[in-house]
Amino acid sequence: MIEITNLVKRYGDIKAVNGISFTVNDGEVLGFLGPNGAGKSTTMNIITGYLSSTSGSVKVNGHDILEEPDLAKKCIGYLPELPPLYFDMTVLEYLNFICDLKKVPKKDRKEQLASILSMVKIVDMADRLIGNLSKGYKQRVGIAQALVGNPDILILDEPTVGLDPNQILEIRKLIRKLAQKHTVILSSHILSEVQAVCDRVVIINKGKVAAIDTITDLSTKLSGSTKLSLSFKGPEKDVANKLRAIPGVTNVVSVVSNEDTSIHQLEITAESDAKSDVRTAIFYTMSKGGWPMLEFRSMDPTLEEIFLSITSA
Amino acid sequence: MSAIYKRELASYFRSPVGFVALALFSFLSGFLFINQYRDGMVNISTEIMSLCSFFVVIIPVITMGLFAEDKRRGTEVIFYTNPISMFEVVLGKFFAAMTLIAILFLNVFLHMIITAFSGGVVNIGTWGSVIVYFCLAMLFTAIGVFASSITDTQIVSAIVCFVMILVVQLLETVSVLASAGVASLLSSSMFALEPDKINKASNNVAAAIAWFSPFTKTQDFRYGVFSIAPLIFCLSMALLFLFLTYRILEKKRWSQK
Repeated sequence: MIEITNLVKRYGDIKAVNGISFTVNDGEVLGFLGPNGAGKSTTMNIITGYLSSTSGSVKVNGHDILEEPDLAKKCIGYLPELPPLYFDMTVLEYLNFICDLKKVPKKDRKEQLASILSMVKIVDMADRLIGNLSKGYKQRVGIAQALVGNPDILILDEPTVGLDPNQILEIRKLIRKLAQKHTVILSSHILSEVQAVCDRVVIINKGKVAAIDTITDLSTKLSGSTKLSLSFKGPEKDVANKLRAIPGVTNVVSVVSNEDTSIHQLEITAESDAKSDVRTAIFYTMSKGGWPMLEFRSMDPTLEEIFLSITSA
Repeated sequence: MSAIYKRELASYFRSPVGFVALALFSFLSGFLFINQYRDGMVNISTEIMSLCSFFVVIIPVITMGLFAEDKRRGTEVIFYTNPISMFEVVLGKFFAAMTLIAILFLNVFLHMIITAFSGGVVNIGTWGSVIVYFCLAMLFTAIGVFASSITDTQIVSAIVCFVMILVVQLLETVSVLASAGVASLLSSSMFALEPDKINKASNNVAAAIAWFSPFTKTQDFRYGVFSIAPLIFCLSMALLFLFLTYRILEKKRWSQK
């Protein structure tokens, strides 16, 4: 568990981090979102002990990072934005070096390294020079480095930056696997990534926490209503009127209308309330009218929209 | 500390640095030795003293990458975020560089063996020179470690280290120049001082500056005359620079610029 209270980091007159507080619970995957320069990396650097805060405190599993740095650091595995790799070492030499630093007992070492190598899928690369690996593999070695010593908490700073789409998917898969055993803090400005992996998000902007919540709660809170998109074949006006009559539906707007094929698309806004789910009613209405539904989906605001509305406000 | 030490020492021989230093040193020491050997008058102390004056080139090469390279590559994060004290990191790197310098010294050791077997002189004075070699190496390596910590460019670090060692080497010359300067300044009519007072003042200035020269301090060692003060001087100066390095590295954490 990480407790962050009132964290401030000054650089001259600028407060890069300005009073951030939040708690990361055991076993959760927390997304850390913000535009460039919002203070994500600075916050992560403070949590890991790389930088010190101007004021405020960070407690990792009850250990203050400044007062008991060794105990706190033992609980954390950190992958910085730029993986800290020695290009002149082989993967195995490097991981052994990290084992030395983290004081992993000699007898556990072989077993632990073997399991880490297979987990991040770099068994075949164990004897290659890190400098000769591709970017994706370097990133994996960086993650492997964070896993050494089996820390409770993993802090990953933009782990998929600069990777190709395939590699991104694999790293995400890996993060999800890691999340089963570790508490993970993941920073990113790629929203779909956070959406795919995280339980909860902290959105920070200009050094302050703009929002903390689960993604679903965030979206409903922001819009206060759910949006549905419906494509169908049939008379547009009749359908729109019928749909407006359904209790709970607040608005129906035409999006695409094609009179030749009589295929139309409507955007339906409904009160977001778990008790009155309008979707069944819409289905029966369409079915009774004999208008075939071609597509019916909910248009929850994406994290992109949430993010934009929060950070631009 | 041992983790850093092992990595750093091994990395000397993963890159050309270790081999270049070894080649350079072997060439220099071999040249100095064979020149004496040919004349049939071998004095290992002279060889060691000459080698010490090449520290100004060799030590910057050895120490320039120690911290500068970590800063440039971003690997310094490892030191800050793992359960290890920064002073251990500094010491680990320092001892790795010292070990390389000790490895270089094996050349001279070989020359000592050859000399002893060819009926030459290897006496207490020779061992005194060996002590001087390691004292100076310790001090200059600490300066090199310090120079490496203040920049993230190896070349800048090497130049800073080169200049600092050069100044230390030239302290005696500087002291002579400074005393002459003081003398000429005081002899102007403005002060109206007696000549022996001017003399005394300029001599004191010279002595004060020369006091800092580790070369002057240890010059009797090669004749087998030992004292503890020079050793303490070199050790404490080395510790001072290592401590400054430690503070500079810690400063990064606290800096608000």
